[in-house]
Amino acid sequence: MIDFQSGYILRPVNPVFIYFSLFCALLLNLLPIGNYGWVPDWLILCIVFWNIHQHRYVSVITAFILGLMMDVHNSDLLGLHAFSYSLVAYVAISWHRRIVALTVLSQALHLLPIFLLVSLFPVLVHWLLSGDLYWWALTGTIQAVIEALLWPLAIRILLAPQRRPIDVDHNRPL
Amino acid sequence: MLIDFRFKTLDPIRNIANWILRPLEYVMIAPRNIFEAGSKYFITRAMLAQENQAIKMRHGELSLLANQSEFLMVENQNLRELMALQKQIPFKTLPVEILFNPPNPISQRIVINRGSNDALKLGNPIANDSGILGQVVRLYERSAEVSLLEDRDFAVPVQVARNGLRAAVFGAGRGNPLELRYLPVASDLEVGDILLTSGIDGVYPPGYAVAVISKIERNADKNSSNVFCVPVAAVNRYRQALAFLYDPQFDAKAPTNVNKSSSGTSATNTPGRRQTRARGMQ
Repeated sequence: MIDFQSGYILRPVNPVFIYFSLFCALLLNLLPIGNYGWVPDWLILCIVFWNIHQHRYVSVITAFILGLMMDVHNSDLLGLHAFSYSLVAYVAISWHRRIVALTVLSQALHLLPIFLLVSLFPVLVHWLLSGDLYWWALTGTIQAVIEALLWPLAIRILLAPQRRPIDVDHNRPL
Repeated sequence: MLIDFRFKTLDPIRNIANWILRPLEYVMIAPRNIFEAGSKYFITRAMLAQENQAIKMRHGELSLLANQSEFLMVENQNLRELMALQKQIPFKTLPVEILFNPPNPISQRIVINRGSNDALKLGNPIANDSGILGQVVRLYERSAEVSLLEDRDFAVPVQVARNGLRAAVFGAGRGNPLELRYLPVASDLEVGDILLTSGIDGVYPPGYAVAVISKIERNADKNSSNVFCVPVAAVNRYRQALAFLYDPQFDAKAPTNVNKSSSGTSATNTPGRRQTRARGMQ
């Protein structure tokens, strides 16, 4: 794969690293930070990233299973996150050709609606089911913005193993 | 989602996922616990001595009160027996630890470390030393989810301590004060009134503090009043709490039945003797 930011060809991805990063993101989501609306959802960041870059390894099914886990952890309706994660995974896969070619900042801007969808989906569903709109829960928009701001960091970290140089010349390290 | 909302049939899947997830949650709680333990370890000796003294004084007061209350309780039960009223039911309590509160902006819940294996039942009230915290709403084997008082439309039947007026306290969602609904304008309420559980629902044992009235808006046109209250127990502060293993069915039995069962099991259920800890916990 070509790295559009630097123009180099990336090294092949290691599937173990993909699943390890997803597992780490899941663990980060389980941190007992508290019930705040703005805490970023690390898992969806990771899922969207791998769906854009390596959708042959991480598919809608993976997103669905991880979403189910988050439902149980959040004591939400079963399937709430599962549906929104897989929906977003689908959107990410269908946009992946367009998005990788953009600059990092415009990538983040393109992904903002995706993160917004995930953050506000539970609110919308509860609105439909019970008829009450939870205004408090709309702080999820802050979460989406924070996730979009974290996107450059995610690219830096998750693409790092693939950006390693192939031939390392110890005499001239740069 | 609809299936879960309407039919609640997906519990097996939830249980399996929870079984996988719970160890990971424990692992992720560990850093916080270590940090807290570390900060507790470095408390100075002077602070400890001070705290010790305060606790001793409090202990003295409380044990005095406890002696008195034992006496009063026996007297009360005897009087009730004389008047042929229903006896107050003794129940056990189970110390629980609050693990975390799930990051869910819509509902206000906490997860505790006891479940159906520890004889906890669906609907058991959870309280801390000052008052009622909430109620068990979802039960796993080794953990349970508790809905807090602040949870939207979470209702507790209460009684005003001053005059015995019955009402129901409703949660109004996160960060909002609790509400007393369906009360006429002329009802005798004042700011600062303490609301105790009335026990008429058979879920909460009677006489535990729930909330204090903080604001009253009387609306003469509609003949209704908006009454706002603040929970007595600090809902989001402590890590330890008590679960009341209060059996609602026991409450609903006919008086003759209750008499028989209390005479049959004399040692554990003597009136006026309340066990403060579940069997096997000692």
